Amino acid sequence: MIPWLLLALPLPALAALDKTHGVSPALQDKYIATTSGTWKCLDGSKEIAWSAVNDDYCDCADGSDEPGTSACPDTTFYCTNIGHIGTTIPSSRVNDGLCEPECCDGSDEAPGVCLNLCKQIGEVHRKKVEAELKLRKTGSKIRGTYIAFAHKEKKRLEGLIVNLEREVASREQEVERLRDIAERAESLSAAELERKKQSPLYQSLLSHHTALKSLRKEHKKHLEKEKVLGEILDSLRTGYNPNYQDMAVLEAVRGWESLAGLPHINDVRKGEDGGEEAQAETSKVEEQEEGIWNADQIEVELDRLLKADHVSLLLEHDNIVIRAPPQAILFDITAYLPDSLLPTYVTFRNSVLSWLHVFGIGAVVSDTSAESNRARQALTDAEHSLKLTREEQQTAREDLSDLYNPEGFGLEGEWKKLDGLCLEKNVGDYTYEVCLFEEARQKPNKGGSTFSLGKFTSWNQLAKPGELEYYSKQRYTQGAKCWNGPQRSVELILACGTENALLTVAELEKCEYQITGTTPALCRPLEDENEKVEL
Amino acid sequence: MLSPSLLALLLLPTTTFAFKANDFKTCSQSGFCRRGRALSARALAASSSWQSPYSIDPSSLLLDPHEASFTAAIKSSLYPSAKFELDVRVHDDGVIRVRMDEVDGLRKRYDEAASWALIREPRLSKSEDVKWTVGKDGVRAKYGDNNDIEVVVQYEPVKVTMFRHGVEQVVLNGRGLLHMEHFRTKEGSQPLEIEGAEGEGDAQTVFHVNNAAWFEGEEQDAWWEETFSSWTDSKPKGPESLSIDITFPTHQYVYGIPQHATNLSLPSTTGPSASYTDPYRLFNADVFEYLPDSPVSLYGSIPLMHAHGKEGTAAVFNAVGSDTWIDVEKKDKGTETHWVSESGILDVFILPGPNPTSVFSQYSRLTGTPSLPPSYSLAYHQCRWNYVSSDDVRGVQRRFDEEDMPVDVFWLDIEYSEGHKYFMWDNKTFPDPVEMIGDVEGKERKMVIIIDPHLKRESSYPIYKVASELGVLVKPKSGEGEYEGWCWPGSSSWIDFFNPDSWDMWIKFFKTKSLDGSWAWTQSSENVGIWNDMNEPSVFNGPEISMPRDNVHYGGWEHRDVHNINGMLFTNQTYNALYHRSDPPKRPFVLTRSFYAGSQRFGAMWTGDNLGSWEHMAVGVKMVIANGLGGMVFAGSDVGGFFGNADPEMLVRWYAVGAFSPFFRAHAHIDTKRREPYLLDEPYKGIVKDVLRLRYSMLPIWYSAFRESSLTGVPLLRPQYVMFPQDEEGFAIDDQFYVGSSGLLFKPVTTKGATSASVYLSDAQIYYDYFSHTAYPPPSAAPKSKAKANLEVNSGRRIQVPAALHELPLLIRGGSILPTRERPRRSSPLMKHDPFTLRIALDVDGGAKGEVYLDDGEGYGYEKGEIVWRGFEASTTARDGKKGEKVLKVWSEDLASTQAVPSYDSANPFAQSITDVRVERLVILGIGHKPASIELEGSRKTLEWEYEEGVGRESGKADGEGKKTGVLVIKDPAVGVASDWAIVVKF
Repeated sequence: MIPWLLLALPLPALAALDKTHGVSPALQDKYIATTSGTWKCLDGSKEIAWSAVNDDYCDCADGSDEPGTSACPDTTFYCTNIGHIGTTIPSSRVNDGLCEPECCDGSDEAPGVCLNLCKQIGEVHRKKVEAELKLRKTGSKIRGTYIAFAHKEKKRLEGLIVNLEREVASREQEVERLRDIAERAESLSAAELERKKQSPLYQSLLSHHTALKSLRKEHKKHLEKEKVLGEILDSLRTGYNPNYQDMAVLEAVRGWESLAGLPHINDVRKGEDGGEEAQAETSKVEEQEEGIWNADQIEVELDRLLKADHVSLLLEHDNIVIRAPPQAILFDITAYLPDSLLPTYVTFRNSVLSWLHVFGIGAVVSDTSAESNRARQALTDAEHSLKLTREEQQTAREDLSDLYNPEGFGLEGEWKKLDGLCLEKNVGDYTYEVCLFEEARQKPNKGGSTFSLGKFTSWNQLAKPGELEYYSKQRYTQGAKCWNGPQRSVELILACGTENALLTVAELEKCEYQITGTTPALCRPLEDENEKVEL
Repeated sequence: MLSPSLLALLLLPTTTFAFKANDFKTCSQSGFCRRGRALSARALAASSSWQSPYSIDPSSLLLDPHEASFTAAIKSSLYPSAKFELDVRVHDDGVIRVRMDEVDGLRKRYDEAASWALIREPRLSKSEDVKWTVGKDGVRAKYGDNNDIEVVVQYEPVKVTMFRHGVEQVVLNGRGLLHMEHFRTKEGSQPLEIEGAEGEGDAQTVFHVNNAAWFEGEEQDAWWEETFSSWTDSKPKGPESLSIDITFPTHQYVYGIPQHATNLSLPSTTGPSASYTDPYRLFNADVFEYLPDSPVSLYGSIPLMHAHGKEGTAAVFNAVGSDTWIDVEKKDKGTETHWVSESGILDVFILPGPNPTSVFSQYSRLTGTPSLPPSYSLAYHQCRWNYVSSDDVRGVQRRFDEEDMPVDVFWLDIEYSEGHKYFMWDNKTFPDPVEMIGDVEGKERKMVIIIDPHLKRESSYPIYKVASELGVLVKPKSGEGEYEGWCWPGSSSWIDFFNPDSWDMWIKFFKTKSLDGSWAWTQSSENVGIWNDMNEPSVFNGPEISMPRDNVHYGGWEHRDVHNINGMLFTNQTYNALYHRSDPPKRPFVLTRSFYAGSQRFGAMWTGDNLGSWEHMAVGVKMVIANGLGGMVFAGSDVGGFFGNADPEMLVRWYAVGAFSPFFRAHAHIDTKRREPYLLDEPYKGIVKDVLRLRYSMLPIWYSAFRESSLTGVPLLRPQYVMFPQDEEGFAIDDQFYVGSSGLLFKPVTTKGATSASVYLSDAQIYYDYFSHTAYPPPSAAPKSKAKANLEVNSGRRIQVPAALHELPLLIRGGSILPTRERPRRSSPLMKHDPFTLRIALDVDGGAKGEVYLDDGEGYGYEKGEIVWRGFEASTTARDGKKGEKVLKVWSEDLASTQAVPSYDSANPFAQSITDVRVERLVILGIGHKPASIELEGSRKTLEWEYEEGVGRESGKADGEGKKTGVLVIKDPAVGVASDWAIVVKF
């Protein structure tokens, strides 16, 4: 064996650490030696020498014998922080050479390594807390106005609902009355109408109508597809990832640019804010062919055509074909008279008409079908009004129930005021807009299309309704689909602040945006501090 | 008729992930490769009647009177007017360099590849040590230990053969495929038109007119112009390719020529047993979504091939920088290879071996050893394309700390920069870069930031402006102006680092304070590491996603001549710039994607843009091993796979692969979901945390292994054939490896749902499971010490080890001592004063050995001997006097003293700084009996200990297999890791 020099310099274990060093106040009384000079691990698994506590060697399976060193992984160290607030840190941060800001007393490192900064840090901390409290106080005042708003809104809605109830009742009566009239008029003319409907012209009209409707539906589908395609190609053009190094992609971009009359993205990037946009605009003005509708006209005319009442048309057509003079308004009065007066009226009318006839003024043409049609129209209109009123009523009821729904506008209705409020943040290339409880959008600042980033879906699903945490996050989902990616979505993270504002926008993952902001709606009054929100 | 499955494959529409085969040439789309393969086909057809047209003119032979070298003229019977010169040299370590160049030609061939790869001009043997004997048929010399090496240079045809013990090892031009296409003019090369059209089909007539056709072929295939896809290469110099056959008549296994996504033992590319249709290609390329089993070229090229067999190892280093294709064919007894390069001189180094370790040493003496990196770079790196803002970076750091997961480095990919103008922060997202870097460095962590070689062509961009004004940008084929291509920033130009004027410019850019008013990266710090990507170079709108080959570099060389070297020069200069950034200098950390022979001197590499699939995970392991054989030992592949969203199981397995890669970085594509380890659910999160902590606990092992590699060039990940060069069973094994010389054997699990793994053990040694302490004794009763020499013979065996998701198949070879630091910390520098655990795995004879190397981890004090290098040893002896009773002794010694490290002083400042660092625990595996007493020698101090019962190291297979070994844990001996001590265990 090779002779070797023995220079063993036994190292003293850490300069005898206090046995309760790093022990939290709650456990202090567990760190006491037995009379025989031993100590039991807190989990009871082992009995060790009292000297083995805090000797910088991990004996216990639960690590409880080393509260003041880093010898046992995944345990905690308690800093007393006299002058500030006591706190625990992971054992991995003990004796690592860094003074933990959480341990302002410097007890996490060997003596002399860290200064005791608790006085200063405590001071700063108190100031910070004060500032926070002040902010919350101001914020909660604003929040109070939101609550008051909700209260007013509640009153308004309740009043509205009462009014609407009344209105519904009266409209219901009206509908009943008109239905009666229409049915009576129709029974007179139904047979006649059926006969007229056999006209090939009318049948053809119906087919045209169906054709038009189908075509329009198809057209709309294509327009939507084209729009989506355009968006895909636009985002391909502006955002295509050159790492794909695919000339096919480049070709596709070029093709789209020439089709859509856009300048090459390369030139745009080169020129940055050149005036290509305007150029592209001017070339778009197309000459209009005579007699041909443009897109807007088509839209309007189609609407009209599709809404046309074919029965009316049929009857009017009839009138024109037999050259009948227009019906006098007079004849229609029947429709508006209460039933009780009708017989009197009819007698009166007949006498007047015959009298008129003597003077050669009126023409006795009984057009019962037109009459019944108008009666039907009046009924439809009345039914529609009733429906609208009922819907209004329904909305008002829902609004009222949402107002204090913890999953809606909060326990105190404090979010109602912000319903639909649009907040914006300009980050250079884009302005991000969040219309609260509605939709989030990305609007390019240098031209291009606006993308929906999603519609309001939910509050923070990881917390319980009613908790502050629940209202600190909103999710907007199902936005426009990304090319080669998911549908855009937003996580809106809110904090108490005196203003409703967006602070930062980050796209942490492709097409998933994280937006932060502030709102007074989150500034709960200070008295709430120790209250438990109960549901 | 297509089989249904094949049909289904063909009908598959473009899948989400697909290698763009059309972007890259196959051999048949590359003119010179086509010519090279046609040449070898003609030789095969001609069989024994084939003879190389190249021969030495014996009268021209010129021996150097002082050194072991000679030159001679070479003639080609095809072109009597063309002149070539051969230059053969024997280096002082036995390496043979064979150079051949055209002389007095129309132009000059590129001859500078070796000058970039080599660290210095190699020293030659003295002529009295290696004596040339000039004979009638050739020149020969014998040298080496016992004159076992002989090199023979035959005159006609020219042929160079290296023998060892009279057995052929390496043969150049043995198959007559040597062809150096000499420079010619387009006009002069037109075939004579005597025979006209009527000669068609009549081989005789044509042969008569073009007397080179039997060798070069009838056609002037792609001599003067070549079109690929939409690009046309103008080829102003005409044909200039180089073909050489290299045969290893007695080696059946070849390794190396990285980088390819293939097996470590290279499969044949030609002949009846070919696994691939194309040759291996060396052409640095940004291959998008590369395939996990292919000979296609990737980002880096090292033209070094190891040839190995039971009888020994040899290697060749072919110093060529142009596009190169290599055919490999395994024969009954050896391996034939054929190398075809687009341009350049012949400059082949024959590395004589005779074993893997000596080949590493010979190659390192040529191109240098890997430089010792800053120690933090061996810890865990967290990367993503992209952390989008300085607050994002802070948030990621906070989350790691909240989960108490260790991490050392946060990376920024290209999106930190405004408009992809590197160095320029995007102020909207990174308004406070210096403060952000400060927040990271405040936790003793580092940042690595990307700088790519393409510069946005924008006059307001200072980097471009300075480079443009200096005229150091690559030029287009006209040789005038600036080449313009397309990359991340859009229209870009590339710095030509072959131009020495660019070097000083680059140094100034990286300074954190401006000197003489020139631009400096003041928004940075002296600790920032640099990531050099896209340096193949990647050009989005260029041929094969790179530069046109007729682009012009400094000195008038065409891009084709220097293509494979280009990427190395970029990292070379970045490394240099970081070295000069601070005073005193700190060790630079540079990561590169592209590399060449010699790149190991400039930092780490990674395997590029892999995909989150099990196949990619598996081939990544092989690639990292193969890169190590080529010198690029500091290697790793993106944990989790760059593309795609690995599922939690895959991610966990990939973290284990990463934790046992020299370079350990998680990275992710911009389209992927976030997957930082703290985002995982349990149990995955906890497992990954354990894996990260395991890596950190083993950092002393990795650092010591790196230090060894930086001295010897032996890779950190050692495949079976390197460890046991005589055990043929292990020659093709590439799915398990040893870590340095630590004795750790790791088998990565790269399949879904695995619960156990099969590990191959070569030697008659006991192995222990690192975690469960299960013993795997050798097959028969332990051989006695005297039989040690035969340990490797007939001991090969496969064992099954548990490998459920939370279990790592990690074994310790008996006879090893592992130094670890087992206290979890947030980052590796915070472990500086943590105590060590020594894990002692006794071998069958009760002995063990290990070492630890420590230094300050960041500076160059280690070059001045400011180190701690300790050896640990254990041995078991009979206790004096008493029969049967034994004594186990464990001790520590100062290896720096015993190994005579230059200028070492045991009281050096670094050693002084860690006198408080102690060994807190000894864990001894393989103890079959409870000890009687344990004490610290010389102090009479009795030590506390615990013994966990189990089988001893001596137990034979019958009762030992799969049983737990006895473990003795000695508590806190209170000895310094840097001091001498001994502990005695009595039984």
